[in-house]
Amino acid sequence: MRLVIDERRCKGCNLCTMVCPYRIFKQGSKPNARGIVVPELDRPERCANCRLQALYGRTLCGMCQMICPDQAISWQEEEKNEPRKVAIEF
Amino acid sequence: MTYTEWLREDRLPHIYCAGCGNGTVINCTLNAVDQMGWKKEETVFVSGIGCSSRAPGYIMTDSLHTTHGRALAFATGIKMASPDLNVVVFTGDGDLAAIGGNHFIHACRRNIDLTVVCMNNQIYGMTGGQGSPTTPMGALSTTTPYGSREPTFDLCELASAAGANFVSRWTSYHVKELTRAIHNGLKTSGFSFIEAAVQCPTNYGRRNKFRQVMDQIEYFKTHAVLQQKADRLREEGKPLPENSIVVGEFVHRNRPAMGVKR
Repeated sequence: MRLVIDERRCKGCNLCTMVCPYRIFKQGSKPNARGIVVPELDRPERCANCRLQALYGRTLCGMCQMICPDQAISWQEEEKNEPRKVAIEF
Repeated sequence: MTYTEWLREDRLPHIYCAGCGNGTVINCTLNAVDQMGWKKEETVFVSGIGCSSRAPGYIMTDSLHTTHGRALAFATGIKMASPDLNVVVFTGDGDLAAIGGNHFIHACRRNIDLTVVCMNNQIYGMTGGQGSPTTPMGALSTTTPYGSREPTFDLCELASAAGANFVSRWTSYHVKELTRAIHNGLKTSGFSFIEAAVQCPTNYGRRNKFRQVMDQIEYFKTHAVLQQKADRLREEGKPLPENSIVVGEFVHRNRPAMGVKR
């Protein structure tokens, strides 16, 4: 599962940056085409919900999705073995 | 099935200001309704006038957007005419406590099988920030420019004194607890009242030293006191911390109710 922020709905209130226990959201830096500073994702693979939601068959934490007043946060199914860059923390 | 299937995606993004807590309460309510497993054809959302009352317009069920303060009167009519429908009422503090106060206490007295979700943003947000019956003492608004000098309504105490079957209060920061409280309220037969304190960054926050949306959420986070702790402090004879919001489930009882599904 992959977390996506719908840029057409987000109004840039940054509530998700406050509630995420893994701090995968950070405040954005430049406005998008609608003039809204959408939060950026900072190493979203740290989110347990993104990794383990399919395994458990239910939403694990989901605080960001629930608190988002604009219903902009959702999870998408990923292709299997989709190549992506992963930063490993020691 | 997730609660996002209850949203009218074609109407989104909604008209609420950036960071308005009403959207959060819609999420929580739809999640609770979805957990109940109700059908869309058998669920009705009713609302009055105000920011909060625009919520049913974004939900894919039958809904009524009624006159100011009369959401409960219309909901009573729906429930009496066809008790098989599940009726959920969205309302605000100006709608429920000010102009609809009389309907509120009598709906509590009759104990009709409704679930009322009150989004209490402590101000009249839509009309330009006038003071409402729940504006806290000392808060600034356009009609109280030197600070409000009136005591406020405690809607939960009002509902439990008037005879509601389920009374609970949470804030828009406590999303999981709010969802659970609404779910319990939907399960309870009789009048269920859930008050959700929400932030209003545009009209309340910027006049009251909450410049960012996160400041007011931080305020809810730090000033919320669980009901059990408030009771313990009262037994010990200690005063509650100033400006605290007592949250929790206040009343859960089984009085005879009207309009329960046959």
